[in-house]
Amino acid sequence: MRTRALILASAASATAILGGWQLGAIGAVTAPVAQSTQTTGTTASTDASTSTSGTGTSSSGSTGATGSSGSTAGTGTSAAASSSSTDGTYTGSTVSTRFGDVQVQVTISGGAITDVTPLHLTDHDGRSVMISNQAAPILRDEVLQAQSASVYLVGGATYTSQAYLQSLQSALDQAGF
Amino acid sequence: MTARAFPAMGTVVSLRLEGTRDAMATDAAAASLEAESPTTAAAVAAVGEVFARWEAHCSLYDPASELSRIGRGELGLVDAGEEVRGAYELALHWRARTGGSFTPHRGDGLIDLNGVVKALAIAESGAALDGLGVTRWGIDAGGDVLVGGAAAEGQAWRIGIVDPADRGALLGAIDLAGVGGRMAVATSGSAERGDHIWTQPGAGPAAFVQVSVAAGDILTADVLATAIVAGGRAALDEYTERFPIDVLAVLGDGSLLATPGWPRADAVTQPSAARDAAAAR
Repeated sequence: MRTRALILASAASATAILGGWQLGAIGAVTAPVAQSTQTTGTTASTDASTSTSGTGTSSSGSTGATGSSGSTAGTGTSAAASSSSTDGTYTGSTVSTRFGDVQVQVTISGGAITDVTPLHLTDHDGRSVMISNQAAPILRDEVLQAQSASVYLVGGATYTSQAYLQSLQSALDQAGF
Repeated sequence: MTARAFPAMGTVVSLRLEGTRDAMATDAAAASLEAESPTTAAAVAAVGEVFARWEAHCSLYDPASELSRIGRGELGLVDAGEEVRGAYELALHWRARTGGSFTPHRGDGLIDLNGVVKALAIAESGAALDGLGVTRWGIDAGGDVLVGGAAAEGQAWRIGIVDPADRGALLGAIDLAGVGGRMAVATSGSAERGDHIWTQPGAGPAAFVQVSVAAGDILTADVLATAIVAGGRAALDEYTERFPIDVLAVLGDGSLLATPGWPRADAVTQPSAARDAAAAR
């Protein structure tokens, strides 16, 4: 039972990680790979429907990660045995998200999911992009710069009509720009 | 493109219009325009009416507004007009969606709908301009911007974001598509109208001096900008994951946070690469 609880906890955390991506269909975890190997080549070659049944396993953890999309139900794979012999690292199939394609690696240790690692995410041009939409530090030089002459309108914290008179927007309006 | 500005809601509304009868760039374009195209004056008047109506119902600065009368106990909320009830309902909906970071209930118990009313007026103004047949328009109400149609053929609207430390300078910019994708950018601050955002009890002073949120619609952008200022870093992290938004946030020390989708400066061409390119020619 303890193992099951750990798995469910891991699945819940994976859901939290992946829930925002609006995951589409995902295949089951496919092949065990060496723990240290960053294998990314495995894709949806093993369809969930063809895999053998399993209960409360690594693959259900992976399924849990996509459960919020409701796209895959009741998947399980040959990696489903609940003994610790399934320890290893498993690579999921590539999934399309609204940010691009993503592939997830799951690490099983002691029969429980100990790590879920997004292997890669690419945008629609095939470039690698950040995995999360979380805001990160950025230098002023790095944000898109503009001169007032090159913008149509100016956004800013709500200015009163009095402050407006000293604002860039006021200058633009007067210039009829 | 024609520029117009008028005072409303204690601030100023700036308009950019293209496709009104007297706002065409060339005589040829004007001649090709259908006779039923609106005049600039008619388009500005339509927007002015929308703002005036929302102000009359929901302004707390106008003692005669419905919302002021509700605050004084002279009018029951259930007896208010549909603008007030609808805005209040919407504000409660967003309170739930933001886990309380955004709320229409002021610390002193008054119902304050400023957080949604300006965005509602902007959105309704945009719909009015579309209805009139204005082909390209930008509305900036006190620093919150919504656009419709491309700025010019195939061209995005570049919106400057003011530097909170220097109102006369730009911190950065973002492009709004006008059709699909990012249509709106709203900015909230804890500095200029120090009282207009109430942080959550026990949250302490606001972590962010200014937060800009770009979204598909002005209401989402405006509400989440306010909610992030009120809710701090935790709110920023949560909403950027939950909502399809891009954010540029300015911290108290002037440093910046941005989501991956917030537009970056163009990559600087490496001198050697430029030289190679020149040699190749």
